[in-house]
Amino acid sequence: MSGSTPRSIDEYLAALRAALADEDPALVQDALYDAEEYLRAEVAANPGMPEADVLERVAGRYGRPDEIAAAYRDTEVKVTRAFQPPASIRPASHSPLKQFLSVYSDPRAYMSLFFMFLSLITGIVYFTFAVTGISLSIGLAILIIGLPVFLAFIAITRAISLAEGRLLEAVSGERMPRRPVHPGPNVGLWERIVATVQDTPTWTTLVYLVMMLPLGTIYFVAATTAFSLGVSLLLLPIAGIAQRLDWWLPWGDERLLFSPRWLDTPAGWVFCVVFGAFLLTSLLHVARMVVGLHARVAKGLLVT
Amino acid sequence: MNDSHTRKFQKELNVGLVALVLLAVLERSSEDLYGYEIAKRLQRANSGEALFKEGTVYPVLRALCANGFLTSRVKPSSAGPPRRYYRITRDGRALLAQWSGIWAQTRDFVDRVIRGGES
Repeated sequence: MSGSTPRSIDEYLAALRAALADEDPALVQDALYDAEEYLRAEVAANPGMPEADVLERVAGRYGRPDEIAAAYRDTEVKVTRAFQPPASIRPASHSPLKQFLSVYSDPRAYMSLFFMFLSLITGIVYFTFAVTGISLSIGLAILIIGLPVFLAFIAITRAISLAEGRLLEAVSGERMPRRPVHPGPNVGLWERIVATVQDTPTWTTLVYLVMMLPLGTIYFVAATTAFSLGVSLLLLPIAGIAQRLDWWLPWGDERLLFSPRWLDTPAGWVFCVVFGAFLLTSLLHVARMVVGLHARVAKGLLVT
Repeated sequence: MNDSHTRKFQKELNVGLVALVLLAVLERSSEDLYGYEIAKRLQRANSGEALFKEGTVYPVLRALCANGFLTSRVKPSSAGPPRRYYRITRDGRALLAQWSGIWAQTRDFVDRVIRGGES
């Protein structure tokens, strides 16, 4: 595949990136990070030897960019499959009712619901952070202190981006980077600022952080409404029966009045339990779907 | 005989063994290790010759970590990007014990068959 040996670390990384061109961007980011860690350690272990010579020696031991690309491709498939718990290979049931209820045995459904509840808080935090950071960076741009403030803001943005990616991978299973964004060649402060400003993911990550406030609000309101409605419907028959038997009267002698009245009849109780259970089960399905979609959009914005 | 067949055989053999060997190196080590260090230890263990490309260590480390058999933390380094240090978890030790047993059985079986000594 690759004819000539790369002469520098940057050339090696570029060749590796090219060899992995069709792969998941999250995997590419990890592979580049690992390769750079190894190559820089090798250069540091051989002080005085030119980078080109080190790379030539390394090509045999570490592997050529195309060999490494193949290793990442294979390992990602093989090792992940080897560690997969057997339960997930179980064939899907054909009965529609069983398929509908199978969501209760999927940990991702619960985690997705949790993510929807949590997203109001994360949305507020991300939005506040992004708006404060942008305002401070623009406001202080005319002073010398503006530059370090901007760089620190971007560094924290990248850390948040990695953490959010890890959270989304745990919740939705969508492959996200396990390593931070490659910092690029080691250059001066000014070049680094220019590179950061020209880097598209920097801006799309900020878009994601700002977008999380409206999205988080919608997720939270939808999840809370559906969840409380479902639980209320399940509890309604208990309240109705308890009132009738005089076990429990919520407000002294005042009875709870249900509207419409037919809800407080045996047929109404059955309806409430069935509809409540249906609503909660659907909520888990919807949560899993919405967060899966969210993770795919997030990947487009957070990953190079 | 045929060099490409030999290479292919070696590669197929390595697929599962790299993970076993990585777990073993991390279990022996009293301190956390990063990818480069692990690769160098493996190279020393085979008198300077690496049996597999050292770059293949990294994706396996990541997969082991993602499945809870290793934990990792990042420490800044003066040589390049921050390094990721790995440590074996209790699950990792249990897996290593299991895999070592399977490996010993497989090795003995293959040895017996190759020597033709089965009774």
